[in-house]
Amino acid sequence: MPRDSERPRHTGRLLRLGALLAGIAVALSFPSMAPSPYELTVGIAILNFAVLSTSWNFVGGFTGYISLGHGAFAGLGAYATGLLVTKGELPSFVALFVSAALVAVLAIPVGYAALRVRGASFVIVSIALVLIMLLVFQSWASFTGGSRGLVVPRPFPGKLRSEHHEIFYFLFLGLLALALLAWWIIDRSRFGMGLKAIREDEDKAQSLGTPTYTYKLVVFVVSAAFTALAGGLYGLWFGDLDPVFQFSILSGAYMVLMALLGGVRHLYGPLLGAVVVGYGLEYSKLEYGDTPLHLVFAGLLLGVVVMFMPDGVIPAVTGLVARVLGTGETSIREVTAAELRDERDEREADVRPDHRPDGKRPDGKREVRQ
Amino acid sequence: MPSASLVFQSIVLGVLLGGLYALLAAGLTLYFGVMRVVMIAHSAFLILAAYLAWYAHRETGVDPLLTLLVTVPLFFVAGVAMQRLLLTRLRPATLTMMSVLLTFSVALVIEGLLGYAFSGTQRRIRLGYSSASLEFFGARVAVVKLIAFGLAAAALLGLYLLMRHSRFGQALRATIQHREAAALVGIDTDRIAGYGFGLGLATAAVGGTALSLDTTIYPSLHWHWIGPLMAIIVVGGLGSVPGAAIAAMTLGLTQSLLQLELSTTWAQTVFYVALFATLAVRPQGFFGGRLAQRF
Repeated sequence: MPRDSERPRHTGRLLRLGALLAGIAVALSFPSMAPSPYELTVGIAILNFAVLSTSWNFVGGFTGYISLGHGAFAGLGAYATGLLVTKGELPSFVALFVSAALVAVLAIPVGYAALRVRGASFVIVSIALVLIMLLVFQSWASFTGGSRGLVVPRPFPGKLRSEHHEIFYFLFLGLLALALLAWWIIDRSRFGMGLKAIREDEDKAQSLGTPTYTYKLVVFVVSAAFTALAGGLYGLWFGDLDPVFQFSILSGAYMVLMALLGGVRHLYGPLLGAVVVGYGLEYSKLEYGDTPLHLVFAGLLLGVVVMFMPDGVIPAVTGLVARVLGTGETSIREVTAAELRDERDEREADVRPDHRPDGKRPDGKREVRQ
Repeated sequence: MPSASLVFQSIVLGVLLGGLYALLAAGLTLYFGVMRVVMIAHSAFLILAAYLAWYAHRETGVDPLLTLLVTVPLFFVAGVAMQRLLLTRLRPATLTMMSVLLTFSVALVIEGLLGYAFSGTQRRIRLGYSSASLEFFGARVAVVKLIAFGLAAAALLGLYLLMRHSRFGQALRATIQHREAAALVGIDTDRIAGYGFGLGLATAAVGGTALSLDTTIYPSLHWHWIGPLMAIIVVGGLGSVPGAAIAAMTLGLTQSLLQLELSTTWAQTVFYVALFATLAVRPQGFFGGRLAQRF
């Protein structure tokens, strides 16, 4: 048996490594292959979506808490970077990291309020956060520029537009790699195990001693910081911020849609979703312009994903492949309850012959184990 | 310091606004009660009803209030259909989270279709009595605001009587309190939950018609309503109808009074301040019972 099961795992690992290298090669050579700067900007937009939705997936994927308000962290990151550059006169990339740190600090009280209760209130707080930020940044025009927008100076003033795009393409790629690496590390750590226990059953996780509240708060802050980095980098690249777009509930919804579509339990799920949805968005913008119908399509797609494949495309496809190849593994050992009981009875009878196998003492009271 | 009559005027307007909030929050509470669902699309349906009233008025010239005869049954059926066809099909383990996304997607579809059908232009109903107002102890109150409040109050009263004094209301309350126990005493909880959802959506129809009387509407307006409504149900305690009503009145009044000193947008932040304060101090809300603890 072990020999049979080791071979596919080995080839599987090789395949995965090959796919990863091929993916990196494609991603790195894309700027030189792109026929025009337009394709490059599409690539940047998709990478931006990928970083955002991977950052979202720190909370959504590990803990199962769905935040519709991550757009607020991205917008805050962008605005904080822009304001630090224009008003604080910091160098662009120092401002970027300072703003991410500021957003992380802000995420602590938000998470404190949002995570005290389960589920429904968390979503409500996350939506409220976007709406508050929109109100504040629109009304506080003297500081934020209000609806007139905020112009962020370019970090590389001497460069041509196409060089500018190319630099930012690689910056976004680097940030994506960083986010994926962080997700991968957490996924394999004890911390990640605790987070996933929260997703499966928060009560049980808590009763087994997982510090659920602290874990949730920490991962929420990490997620907010990555989201802010992506938002800030976007601000530096795009150079013009408008509260309506920065604090749009829709941008948060796109992050959720991408992550769910790809598969929230998978490292590359959000990336895959971002490629599909991001390309679709850019394509429809090019072909049909900005009509309200893109809301309808986004809504329908989200509805279909939620209804029919809440685990995403990756599990659906790998499940299908496994069924075709016959390599499917089940995590549940196929043992009936009766067999388990017999096994346990045998074991207990061996260890403590004076006790009845069902755990009852002869006087009928249940035995209390110390 | 604003004059006493201005303060009084604000109080009257705040109460009138609070009435509408209370009706809509009662609808949200019903959904949460029967299904543990946070219905993001509630305010999208609200705007949809307002658009239907506006459209009927523009095309045929009928009084917007008459559209209630159509929209209320229509929304009731839509609510039952939504519960039976969409929400019951989600996995029970992740129902709360996934239902948020599903109702969110419904809200997006409604907003997109409204924008496509009627464009993003701001719309307003002009009625013969639009500009009429009443003197009321020194406060001037527009007649349409009074009608809107009357409509909301009548609907809330009707809902209260239905919940308290009918067999259906008893079954509905039993389903909200303990679904399994309700099923054990012979209540068809699936059917009742569907009707509860329909009732909730019917409040959006009433609220939307009331809203259309004196408000300028546009497709994305629903985001301005969902935030305050969500805040109200959390402050009141998820699942508690009286809690939602009290919170709606208090916050509506506060918002109206704050508008005396601050701009309209800043006054709206009172809802979010209340939301965060409630979650930090008393996460289950001020009137929520056992039900709110876990959500």
